[in-house]
Parts: sequence; structure tokens; C-alpha cells
Amino acid sequence: MTTEEEGCLLVVVIDVNPVWWGSSPRKKDKASLTLPQCVDQILVFVNAHLMTSPQNKTAVIGSHANESRFLFPRKTTSHEDQKDVLSQIISLDGKYEQFTKVQTDVMEELKDLISSNTVVSHTDTLLSGSLAMALCYIHKMEKETGVGEKLRSRILVIKAAEDSASQYMNFMNVTFTAQKQNVTIDACILSKDSGLLQQACDITGGIYLKIPEIEGLLQYLLWVYLPPLSQRSNLILPPPIQVDYRAACFCHRMLISVGYVCSVCLSIFCAFSPICSTCHTAFKIKAAPLKLKKKKKMLASGV
Amino acid sequence: MADEEPEKTYTWEGDYERTWEAIKEDEQGSLQATVDDIIHRAKRKRLTDRPVNVRLGMMRHLFLALDMSQAMQIQDLKPDRLTTTVKLLEKFIDEYFDQNPISQIGVLTTSNMRAEKLTELGGNPKRHITALQACKDKPCVKEPSLQNVLELAMSTLRHMPSHASREILIVMGSLTTCDPGNIYNTIKTLKEANIRCSVIGLAAEVRICRKLCEDTNGTYSVILDETHFKELLMEHTTPPPATANTEPSPIKMGFPQHVLNTEKDKTEQPSMCMCHLNSKDDKKLSAVGYFCPQCRSKYCELPIECKVCGLTLVSAPHLARSFHHLFPLDDFVEVQRSDFENEDSLFCQACQSHLTAENVYQCPKCSNLYCLDCELFIHESLHSCPGCASGRPRPSQTEHMEVD
Repeated sequence: MTTEEEGCLLVVVIDVNPVWWGSSPRKKDKASLTLPQCVDQILVFVNAHLMTSPQNKTAVIGSHANESRFLFPRKTTSHEDQKDVLSQIISLDGKYEQFTKVQTDVMEELKDLISSNTVVSHTDTLLSGSLAMALCYIHKMEKETGVGEKLRSRILVIKAAEDSASQYMNFMNVTFTAQKQNVTIDACILSKDSGLLQQACDITGGIYLKIPEIEGLLQYLLWVYLPPLSQRSNLILPPPIQVDYRAACFCHRMLISVGYVCSVCLSIFCAFSPICSTCHTAFKIKAAPLKLKKKKKMLASGV
Repeated sequence: MADEEPEKTYTWEGDYERTWEAIKEDEQGSLQATVDDIIHRAKRKRLTDRPVNVRLGMMRHLFLALDMSQAMQIQDLKPDRLTTTVKLLEKFIDEYFDQNPISQIGVLTTSNMRAEKLTELGGNPKRHITALQACKDKPCVKEPSLQNVLELAMSTLRHMPSHASREILIVMGSLTTCDPGNIYNTIKTLKEANIRCSVIGLAAEVRICRKLCEDTNGTYSVILDETHFKELLMEHTTPPPATANTEPSPIKMGFPQHVLNTEKDKTEQPSMCMCHLNSKDDKKLSAVGYFCPQCRSKYCELPIECKVCGLTLVSAPHLARSFHHLFPLDDFVEVQRSDFENEDSLFCQACQSHLTAENVYQCPKCSNLYCLDCELFIHESLHSCPGCASGRPRPSQTEHMEVD
């Protein structure tokens, strides 16, 4: 172990929400990418990542409106199997076997994922589930790495559809776990800004970028997200964005900068109320008003 | 350990335990597998033992009291008790703020029959850790004074607001204490002031410490070795149940915005932050920082109490960080792998690994299966189930039916 080679595990989370990818305004726009084209570009990026170092590893997760699934690696019964499969692939066009495997696996699983979820009743993507799976996978891989090997991990989220407000708590749990595990979360946004991912990137020190031209996806991926974490400080990358850390009050869902927090359940309210509406705790109102009354009474009796 | 019934729980009073029968060799004659299994089981037990639906003291004010008496130089922990304790306490402080982002901590020491305050109550882990590290080089003198250290902590804690949970955690290496007065009176006042005292003993059980902990609803434990010491410390990172006397009240808090100077020519002038105003080393002017929404004073990190107007400044994620104590994840059910028809083709939902162990874990809500490693990871740090988070409540159930 004279050279300390540091491998990098890159987990790519692709938003494959069919509602967004098939939405009508996008179809009319000829220049925009279709999902298969987008996945092709992402695969080129993944291959580039695998090529930069022999220690580099990757995983791809598809995030659907109903389900999250690993697209690569596929479920295999044991590790020997995986190696066998790799040797069985006969590269016809002289392509590196690993690349062929990544490509065929991702495409097959993706087809299966889309075709098994034909009924989609929601427009938002369940991203936090995919991120949770990614973190569990990273946890497992880091446990498996031998002594003397190092594995830095990061997650790249390629996000298309809108945020799911109901997932706030799950999302925050994931973000803080990533921070604790020293996993960087990067985000590449194809359409609308995502408040949740902005916070996740800011907390874990990742790059958040909303790409202006979706056709140039591959170029953005290669320029911004390919260089390893250790080299990021030497590059001129997109400047950090302003993250809104204000809280939304539980009563009106408005962003507030000063509010009241229940000491029992930590619910946030924009105005003082004597009973917490979340946990139904009756607050003790400070003794100040009582004293005033007493004084008045005393004054009255004195007169 | 034996904390439930303090009257009759010493190991030498209990039944004879055949500990060696629990251990079995595997095919290679190694004990590692069974030992790992026992450790995992112990961990799981601790997770399931947690009380549910108890009001917790979420805003904690904790004083760490470190014994700096001669007894801390004993080398039964390597290299010596003090170094080990300081090392573990550093981890404890980090973990404490990770788990309780809106809480505060202060550090006290006791040596030479006196008590000394190292740091005031505060929310900045770095300050406490540097103060602790400086402790390593200080001499350990004479005896500690339990009473003095309690009185010192009480003098600050009794003025804390009534909704806060007031706590003292003492790491005691000495078996003796040298006190100026009657310590029973101190214990009584502590009880009245609603201060929860816990003691971790490094040597052996001491009656006065047990009395102190019992009266004030704290926990008393004596370490077995370094790992046990660490576990005991880490148990104190989860918020304790609130006592009846804590009065709930709404707390006024500010959620300052992070201002960056990349914003197109803001009117913000470069300024100094309030937290580093008095530090001599790096005085930096910058336009970046968090500004108190009430008085516009600048801070470089959150959470903090505004030094000018006294408003507690937090960010929304800090509050969200504490939510997992309030809405804990359901325990997974341990099931036998052989109960499933397709027992050889089961996979962990989280990490994709093939499930080969006898026991697998199932989430009661989404019925997904997990391996032991993921189960522990999910409950210890992730606090949300990947299966539940990646499925809608109803569709996920029907999906599982199809899989079965």
C-alpha cells in the first residue's frame, strides 16, 4: 500500500417521473431531451467516472413517482455471480465489458420500472426514498472496503419533477445522515428549483446547479460533476446559491423570520397562541399579568 | 445493566449465569460470528427499550462535570483515565449537538476540593472541545468535591427558563469527595430545582452518587471498560423524559437568512460577526453571515443566542433534526427467512444485498425486508424507512402483495 489510491463511489439518482418526462409542453418543444436520450447522456457520464480511476465504483437508482429502484447494480445472489456475468459478456464492438453491463442493466431495469408502474396518480417524485436507499448502499459498501482502501462517496441527484412537500421530514433525516457519513449530495436540476435539494446541497457541501439548457446536460455533468471532490477547490465552479433557511409556520404555511416554537413538540407558529395546535399542550402564561391584577387590587383596597 | 431495581441487582447477588453456553463456534471454529450477534442483539434491545409517547425535554441545558482529582491519573484505562475521558467527552459533545441542535452545554471541573467553571452554557461545540482539550495538560490534584461542583452548576441552572430540561452529568473517577457542608441539603435543593443529575463512575459504586441520581431522577452507572464507558456516555445524548415540573411554553425564535455576498451588489457592508468580536486571532471582515431578524447583528454560525437582543437564532433544519426524537421510526419486526416461500431470492430493500442470514427484519408499515446492518443503520442514524419513503402509503402495500 505505498500509493494511497482513493476510490470514489458515485450514486446517481435519476428522476424518471413519467408525468414530467411526458408532459405536453415538453413534447411540443423539439429541442428538449427525451428520457432515453437523457439516460444515454447520464450513462456516458457514469462511464467517464468509472474510467477516471480503477477504484471508482458506481450505482444508479431510478426514482419514480411510486417507487424507487436500483437500476445498477442489479440484485444478484452472490458476488461470484456478478463476476461470472461480467466475463460472459462478449464485447462485440470492443467496448469495455463493465460499460456494456452498466448500460444493459440500467436500460432493462428502467424499462421494467416504467412498465410495472403504469398508473401514476401523483406528479411529484419520491426522492427521499431513493436517497435513503443510496445512503444504506453507501453504508454497506464502506463497511465492505478492506483495510488500507479508502472510499469517498457522493450522491448526484438529477431532478426533473417537483418537490414532494410531505417528504420534508424524511428528506431532512437523509440530509443530516449524509452530513454525518461525510457523503456529499450534488444536485443537477432540469426544470424547477427545489428548495429541499438546495438545503441538502448546502448542508452537505455539494454543488447545486439548475442547468439553463437541458440539451447540454452531458456537458454540464462532465464539467461540473465529474472532477473528484478533492479537486473541487481548484476549479471555478458555479457560485453557491442563496439558501432560504426560514421556517414555514404550521398554522398558515407562511415563511417567517421570527416565530414561536412549542417547547414540547417544536412546532412553529407565526403568532402567540395559548394552546399548541399540534400536541394540544396548554402553555402556562407568564406570571406578569397576574401580578398586575394584584397590584390593582391592592391599590383599590388601599384607596 | 442492573439499574431497574437498585436494591438487589449487584452481579454477585444475582443468579448464576452460564455465559459460556451462549457462545457457539461456527464452521471455522471462530467465535466472531456469535460475538457479533450478541452485540447486535444488545444494540437492538436498547433501541426497542426506548419509552414511547413520553414527553421529552427537548431543550436541554446540560453541565458536564469532569473529575480532575488524583484518581484520574490511574492507568486502568489506557493511557490514563483523564486522557480517555477527555477523548470520549469530545465525541460526546459532537454527538450531543448533533442530536440536540437547540440545546446547550457547559463544562465544569473539580479538583483540589474546589470546583471550577471551564465554559459557560453555550451552543458552540468547538469552544467546549478546545476547553476540554486544554484539560489534558492540567495537573490532577487531590480530591474532588461533589458538593461544590453541584452548587456551581446549580447556580447557573436554576435561572434557566422553566421549559428547559436542566441536567448535570458527572464523570467521577474518585471514590471519595471532600465537601464543605452537608451534601444531603444540596441534593434536596437540586431536587427542588428540578435538576436531573447523572453520574458515570470510573471505579466502583459509591453510595452518595447513587443517592444523588435516585433522588434527582438521573441514572447512575459504573463503567466496565472503555467501550462500555462510551456506550454509557452516548446514552446521554438522547433527550430524557421531561419531568412533571417543566412548564411548556412557546419560545420566541428567529430564523435568520444566510446572506452571501454573491448577490448582485447588496447594500450590505462588510462587517464583523458578533461571535468572533472578542477573539484575537482571526478578525475578518466579510459580508457573509446570518443576520438576526430582530436587531440585525451578524453571526457566522447557527444555532446561537443573539448577544444583543437575546433572541434564539436557529435554522429550520435544526428543528427538523430533533423531530426524530418526537416521531420515532417504528421498530422493525424480526422474522425468519424460512417463513417466506421464495426464501433464497430475498433481497434487502435498502442495500440490494442478498439476504442469507436466518433472521431478516420487516418494516411493519411497508412490509419491506432489510438486512441486520441496514436495520441498525436505519434506526441509529437514518430514522426514516427507505421503503416507506419511496412508496405512497397505499400503492406500496398492493405492490408487496404482487411480489409475494
